[in-house]
Amino acid sequence: MISLTTPYLWYTTRATGFVALILFTLVVTLGTLVANRVGGTVVGRFEVNELHRSVSLVAVIFLVFHITTTVIDSYVPTGWISILVPMTSAYRRVGVAVGAVAFDLILAVWISSLLKVRVKNETWRFIHWFSWLAFASAILHAYLTGTDAKSGAGLAVVAACATCVAAAALWRYVKRPTRAAGRTALSPLAASKGPGPGAPRPVSSKASSSFSRGETGVVTPPNTRAKPESFPRSPSPRSKKRR
Amino acid sequence: MMLAQELPRLLNGTPGTPLTLGQHEATFATSFKVASLLDELEASGLTGRGGAAFPTARKARLLRDQRGHNKVVVVNAMEGEPVSYKDSTLLGTNPHLVLDGAAILASIIGAKDVIVCVSRDNPTAVGNVQRALDERARAGARGPEFKLETAPWRYVAGEESALVHWLNDNESLPQYRPQRPSILKIRHHAVLLDNVETCAHVGLIGRFGAAWFRTLGTGVSTGSMLVTVTGAIERPKVLEVVAGMTLRTVLDYANAYPNPQALLLGGYGGSWLDGAHLDAPYDNESLTQWGATVGAGIIVALGRDGCGVVETQRVVQWMANESARQCGPCAFGLPALSDDLADVVAGTRNAAQAIDRLEHRCGVIDGRGACRHPDGVVRLVRSALRVFAADFQGHASGTPCQASRSGKFFVAVPRLERESELVWE
Amino acid sequence: MGVRRRAGSFYLRVNPILCDGFGHCHELAPELVNMDEWGYPVIKREPTPLSDLATLASARFAVRGCPRQALRIERVSES
Repeated sequence: MISLTTPYLWYTTRATGFVALILFTLVVTLGTLVANRVGGTVVGRFEVNELHRSVSLVAVIFLVFHITTTVIDSYVPTGWISILVPMTSAYRRVGVAVGAVAFDLILAVWISSLLKVRVKNETWRFIHWFSWLAFASAILHAYLTGTDAKSGAGLAVVAACATCVAAAALWRYVKRPTRAAGRTALSPLAASKGPGPGAPRPVSSKASSSFSRGETGVVTPPNTRAKPESFPRSPSPRSKKRR
Repeated sequence: MMLAQELPRLLNGTPGTPLTLGQHEATFATSFKVASLLDELEASGLTGRGGAAFPTARKARLLRDQRGHNKVVVVNAMEGEPVSYKDSTLLGTNPHLVLDGAAILASIIGAKDVIVCVSRDNPTAVGNVQRALDERARAGARGPEFKLETAPWRYVAGEESALVHWLNDNESLPQYRPQRPSILKIRHHAVLLDNVETCAHVGLIGRFGAAWFRTLGTGVSTGSMLVTVTGAIERPKVLEVVAGMTLRTVLDYANAYPNPQALLLGGYGGSWLDGAHLDAPYDNESLTQWGATVGAGIIVALGRDGCGVVETQRVVQWMANESARQCGPCAFGLPALSDDLADVVAGTRNAAQAIDRLEHRCGVIDGRGACRHPDGVVRLVRSALRVFAADFQGHASGTPCQASRSGKFFVAVPRLERESELVWE
Repeated sequence: MGVRRRAGSFYLRVNPILCDGFGHCHELAPELVNMDEWGYPVIKREPTPLSDLATLASARFAVRGCPRQALRIERVSES
């Protein structure tokens, strides 16, 4: 074990931590802009997407700096394992654990995105939803472990980032685009979306012919298409993947 | 005794009272032995009866040449078209013929399993198949292992990739298949999927041979085929006819009311044919000149007191609701077509623009879905614009049409279900 | 020696099930992709020669930029 410590490692850790947090705030906000189809006139939609991808790369680099400088620094006895495995740090166990959770999730999101061409789309989308959880963990980690985050400017920055992303989440939900149906959405929490303005409308009085005798003036055979009453109405657990 | 050149073949029995295994063996007994099943199938020129009319032998050969031990035969009895009853009628008359054919196909490709898929909303057919399977099991018939699966009924549930996807993942959603030819797979096992009627024909060919099969039909469209005739008719009928008979003959046999205004051929995804062309032979080669096909053997006759525009609007509205909503052009385009047609039917102010929009949107939507559902609707709308051009103009200018005067609908359209009621699994 | 001449052409193909109408392809490859009124891509059906490097580059950007990875470039080689 190298006993290496200098105040500058400690400063770097704290500084890169903040920068990483701010950058990830930017990443998540840009992500919501992409998902809500912002752009097309002044700024191209693909530009927002590219910005999202590029900033995420920079954010991850700062995150790696943050983690490395923390672990190398023997002033804080965290240990290498604690980067990935929560609750194994000797220093501020819970705080670092939350950070490890955040890092694990960010790693999953990032690697699945790097391999986006190879991964199935539904898998990628499922993993990508966890970026919200990753950010929440990052905020919690900043508050719990951050030497600076408990007061003053540090707290202000963390609070600002949290507010920004919370607002983005709300806006993301409110302004979500009307898709044809939830059929391609793969969020673990996505609710069933009703038909949007462009989607087929339900029963209309214009065409209410059914397979029955007499209504149409044409004799038709008995209804063999009647739905049996035992039909399950609520979706089975398996169908959650398309809600 | 199955004589050559004689009908009925498939419907040799009483519809509604399926033949038991013993009766089936007695009815279709033969001393003729078929040497090579695949060659007989090829010589017979049998094409698929599910609507696409793909040569059955070619499909079987393709599956046979696939590597891998476990292959599966799937018998498609879903019958997604609401105005088609031929598959359930066949299962209610000669289910064992279908199972024979499936067993033959299984032996050709080397499959050990056969899955018969019937719509769960059709309990009669399910019962018929289950009874037939039980009879076979009790008789200890050798051959592949049969299994009955009941999928929920949707228009697209009978589409082959949707059916196989349901067997895999419990959702009747059509799949994107860019590679042609593309092999359907259940888990990793290659699937040979054929319509119920096709399997029944295979069963006949396996007993009586290709030469016998070819005694009926034209040179290209061989054998007999089942047709469902509904619409301007006293009682909807399922008939067994032969390619080459004129439409007029078919309608006469069905006892349809004479001189229909137009015919809807091929189902909801088919096309309209003007009533003036009733002397056209009922086979794919002759019908292509009017942009129509035999499809899944469906004829709906539109009476003289009906209106093609109204009928088309009702069908398109239902078809739009039956979209799997996976692809944008279908999910949004079909309801747009339905709205335009509704505008035309109601004769609103923008009805004339609606007609132009219909033409334009048909061109935009065509061919851009993963399956052929939007293509079918586009084909229907385009044929309606052609055949009922005068009626479209009449509606646009506000003249009341024949249907509004008579109050009659000829194309039976099922009830529109709310989105929450549509069950895909 | 000489430059290997690019023979053949390519199609830009979309998987309509994966496509969610984001519209990035239209921005990145406007010469190949148009939008319909519902925001979904209408892709040119005729193949583009591989020698048309600008269009090929646009197509590659479109494939990379699609948020749902719904685009593919399909080569059609001339015999």
